[in-house]
Amino acid sequence: MSTNSVTLYLKAEQNIELQSEDVYLKDIGKLTCTDENILAKIKTIKLHRFRKEEPQRQVISILKVIEEINKIYPNVSVENIGEADILIEHINVNKHKSPVQVFKIIFVSLIAFFGTAFTIMAFHNDIGINQVFSKVYKMVMGQASDGYGVLEFSYSIGLALGIILFFNHIGGRRITKDPTPIEVEMRVYEADVNKALIETADREGKMIDVH
Amino acid sequence: MFIKQIFMAVLGASFGFIVSGGVFTVLISVGLIPRFAGKMHIAKHIFILEEMVVLGTLLGDFLSVFSDYGDIGEWALSHEVFGAQATVAAWHVVGSVILSFFGVFSGIFVGCLALAIAEMLDTIPIFSRRIGFRHGLGIAILAVALGKMVGSLLYFTQSVYLYGG
Repeated sequence: MSTNSVTLYLKAEQNIELQSEDVYLKDIGKLTCTDENILAKIKTIKLHRFRKEEPQRQVISILKVIEEINKIYPNVSVENIGEADILIEHINVNKHKSPVQVFKIIFVSLIAFFGTAFTIMAFHNDIGINQVFSKVYKMVMGQASDGYGVLEFSYSIGLALGIILFFNHIGGRRITKDPTPIEVEMRVYEADVNKALIETADREGKMIDVH
Repeated sequence: MFIKQIFMAVLGASFGFIVSGGVFTVLISVGLIPRFAGKMHIAKHIFILEEMVVLGTLLGDFLSVFSDYGDIGEWALSHEVFGAQATVAAWHVVGSVILSFFGVFSGIFVGCLALAIAEMLDTIPIFSRRIGFRHGLGIAILAVALGKMVGSLLYFTQSVYLYGG
């Protein structure tokens, strides 16, 4: 088989996080090729090196990647079936295991806890839930309610059940295999952020690209 | 009588079900919690955050629906949890701490929620495009934050709530 017929298939990812300073071609996605030797060599092509003073986030265009491959193997044709631009982030390992992270979790947890408590209270206050309940009680029972009854209890149970079904888990256990709405929203948000970062880099001419 | 009770139980449970669906769809679609998790790089622990959302809602539900049972201050004072002499002074401190916790964190949440909803409707991008706004977005955001703060302070100090419906 001559090198003329070799095609490299590349499936680039949109966002990668790296702990090492050097970015190799194997890091940016999955590759396959009929020629094992060429594949092994191409995987070790160095694309970028994060220096301390440089921004720890870079966008690499797939054209640059193809150019780098063709510098060494001019006859290999590259087929990219993944993303056109790749966002690479250099992350510090130590940063992710410190008590700072625990502190952050507690901080966000407190916001989520008190925030939602406040939100539901404000909502109940807004709709005047106790008046609504006593009205419903009077309509059904024919007399005014004295204190809290079955309506309030069943409402609270319904609320709890609704949330648990909505979020799809009790404690650490999932009810069905679907991702929870927050997990789905997390992925959507991630994709949006990546897209915005890539487009900003492109517009400001900071993308690592062919010239 | 018994059938009426069952009827009311069904009513109450349905109310709760639909309310939780409605309230949480708003919370989720503005994407507040994912954003916190993304900013703080704690996406791995998103379950804890969801747990907190659930627990917080249940606390708020309890405090507003069964508000007569939520009087921990009265309970603490009448049971003299810190001894006969010290309770009033000590509970003043403890209560203030609890209140400031509640205030700060629910304030952060509501502030984020308000801007997230504004942002979901693309207010800021549309406005800045219309008026050809290129620089100083940071100043505009700061102005929004300060405006919210001033408005909130005025609302409470000038008793604006008395004039509402």
